[in-house]
Amino acid sequence: MISELLINAFLVTIMLSIAIALIKTRTVIFTVILTSAYSLVAALMFITLDAVDVAFTEASVGAGISTILFLAAMAYLPQTEEESISSEFIPVLSCIILGGILIWCSFDLPEIGQLTAPIHQHVAPEYIKGSKEDIGIPNIVTSVLASYRGYDTFGETIVVFTAGVAVLALLEKKNTTKKNKSQPKQKIRKNA
Amino acid sequence: MHNNPILRISTKILFAPIILFGLYVQFHGDFGPGGGFQAGVIVASAFILYSLVFGIEAGKKLFPTNVNLILLALGGIVYGGVGIVSMILGDEFLAYNILGSSPQSGQHIGILLVEFGVGLTVSNVMIALFNAFAGYDKVKEK
Repeated sequence: MISELLINAFLVTIMLSIAIALIKTRTVIFTVILTSAYSLVAALMFITLDAVDVAFTEASVGAGISTILFLAAMAYLPQTEEESISSEFIPVLSCIILGGILIWCSFDLPEIGQLTAPIHQHVAPEYIKGSKEDIGIPNIVTSVLASYRGYDTFGETIVVFTAGVAVLALLEKKNTTKKNKSQPKQKIRKNA
Repeated sequence: MHNNPILRISTKILFAPIILFGLYVQFHGDFGPGGGFQAGVIVASAFILYSLVFGIEAGKKLFPTNVNLILLALGGIVYGGVGIVSMILGDEFLAYNILGSSPQSGQHIGILLVEFGVGLTVSNVMIALFNAFAGYDKVKEK
């Protein structure tokens, strides 16, 4: 119990310091690296909650590939962020109020791992009981993801596909307009 | 980065093991942590690492853009196709029980194919995104 508390306190301290560093930094590359570090610590947090699958996703997607994509996109941004001219009073105040509300609401949350919590009373018991007989694979996360909740995962795949196609369409458009400049000659020939 | 021997050789050494690990995560997702999303990202990272070190043109030679775009769409088709096949065989959309001789083996085949579809789409979207971002500058200069 004490060791768990120590580990959690350690991780939260690292997360907080990364968050403060993120506010302070004005260099884009540091922002990207710090976001990646934040994701990695978040992945460790998920491991302490025994959510290995989520931790794996967070580490590979959040800390890994999104960092690379941010770095690739970063090349088109100015290297440093400009100091904002407007007053920071209202954003800081709204952040503090929102944070206060969230902390206040968190007192009403059931304790982690409590069996009587609504989240553990809905469909979860059925999935946990049925997984071994219905699906026959040891990893319940996979059986929920791919079989019980197959529609949701199908939707997720389509979302990833659509997002990819949308970005490609946006960036490809520029390419074709550039290419078109050299193409009109051919079109004239066709018309003639 | 083409001229740095440490990066070049370590990329050559790491490339195959990264893909092997990706395949392990992909097809071992039933038994351990992992699945299509994570595996797709891991496999994509191997190709992106290659592009980063040897240049985007070499990366496109290794993994041509048209193949990339076809596989990108194929992932969704594989996923949806499993659902259609289960419908044709007389069950509901994405009900895997009918795919095998016993309900459990049917589930096994269904999950494996579906996860494979997810992995295909995710990995190819990531590679395509990286190519789009990294290749954007060269087009602009022309």
